[in-house]
Amino acid sequence: MMFDETTIIYILEIIVGGLLVGVGVHFVPVGGAPAAMAQATGIGTGTVQLAAGSGLTGLLAAGLMMSVTDNIWLVLASGAVGAGIMVGSTMLTGSWIYAYAVGVPFASAKVTYDPITGFSQPPYIAPGTVGHGIPTVCYVSGLIGGMMGGLGGAMIYYALYLINGNAALSAMFAIGIFLVNAVIASWNIQGTIEGFHDPKFKKWPFAFRACLIASALLALASVFITGGA
Amino acid sequence: MSVGGAAGGAPSAYEPQKIRIYGLAGSIVGLYLGAILNSALNTEVFSFIGAVAAIFAVVMGANSVRRICAYGIGTGVPSIGMLALGMGIIAVMFGLSLAETVGFGLAGPIITLIYAGIFGYIIGVIANKVIKFNIPVMEEGNADLSMAGALAILGWSFAVSGTLGYDSIVNDVLMTGYIAIIFIAGGLAILHPFNANLGPDEKQDRTLVNAIMVGGLAMIATGIGALLTQGLAIGLLQIVIGFAIWYYFFKMYYKLVKRDASAVVGTGLLPPTVQ
Repeated sequence: MMFDETTIIYILEIIVGGLLVGVGVHFVPVGGAPAAMAQATGIGTGTVQLAAGSGLTGLLAAGLMMSVTDNIWLVLASGAVGAGIMVGSTMLTGSWIYAYAVGVPFASAKVTYDPITGFSQPPYIAPGTVGHGIPTVCYVSGLIGGMMGGLGGAMIYYALYLINGNAALSAMFAIGIFLVNAVIASWNIQGTIEGFHDPKFKKWPFAFRACLIASALLALASVFITGGA
Repeated sequence: MSVGGAAGGAPSAYEPQKIRIYGLAGSIVGLYLGAILNSALNTEVFSFIGAVAAIFAVVMGANSVRRICAYGIGTGVPSIGMLALGMGIIAVMFGLSLAETVGFGLAGPIITLIYAGIFGYIIGVIANKVIKFNIPVMEEGNADLSMAGALAILGWSFAVSGTLGYDSIVNDVLMTGYIAIIFIAGGLAILHPFNANLGPDEKQDRTLVNAIMVGGLAMIATGIGALLTQGLAIGLLQIVIGFAIWYYFFKMYYKLVKRDASAVVGTGLLPPTVQ
């Protein structure tokens, strides 16, 4: 493949997509194993599972839109909304379990007042825990993160599909790029984060730099692949 | 073989260098052996060698997961398994496609291996220098993981498609969606052993035997895929060999569990002969 103008645009799209995934992970309230026991705020599973779940839904939504039109804005919007719905419904059903089955009030341990609702948090935190459930600010942050991930995944998929014209190949390759960026970002947050109000969120420039290098390498490899027969 | 000492890295009876050489040599030789036998004899019977070759790569990958995760990465063991497969799939597609483009299809696995090694090493450098992990084995561990993921995917893809040609792998493995099974089964084979065995009494031989066992299960899965792409006989052959590998190593794993456990007591749910 020649390195003409379009190829450079595709490479840039893949890099920007990878960066969106990497930064988007920082918004998702990942609680890990402590959250699964309602001893920490956030969704009770790991970053990669959440990122993969929302990202793959975003890819599916983007792929579906791509089969009807190749308007980039529609494809990107479809991917973002698909991933947003996935993270949103995960958090919603998770909240039902936290509220009605585990029976904990939703509280964040990282802030005294919820930045969005203004509700006081410390009185509701059980001793020995670092918050529980998914408070409003985490929910909003999670939606933003999911939509950024979906947007990034859709952008990667869009560029790859235009390069090789093979939907299955582009999807698998996009999943690969997605997972690499999501894992690097999750290493940066050391496993758990509450959302954009968490002090750990300030570490995002490290993930930005790391994902930039990784995505650039992946993008350079991806322009060489062909669609096969 | 010693136990514990998580902070200083996992103690091991088999040196990682030795496992790396066995893993790389075993899987590359297996892949080429299968591919050459298949094309020379104009048959697809030897596709199962690809799945066996993948097990060598899986053992190498499981060992490097064990080495890295013994330091504690904070995100859980599954994340690193997914990273291995994520890096692997990109390397496989890149390697096979580039080999096809330059017109020398058999070079695919070598290009894949080189790209995977370099990319994994760079990810390790990023993790240590940019994210500031400061895990001493991160660079070589990630290079190992990336190569293991790539070779495992390549081996199982070969087991499903029967050739190393890029077009047939795209058609038989990617377009049919079997790649998703390979992805998850392969991820499990690499990440699950350490995830299941970790703890202060984790021992290398038990973890690696578990890896071979899950590799056998993955072979059963690729056998089911091969049923539809290569026909009944070839698929069944893979399923039977996969089952035999799983059964043998499950027995061995159970023996090692009994060796390492302070006591194994029955709950009454299983018949006494199994205990």
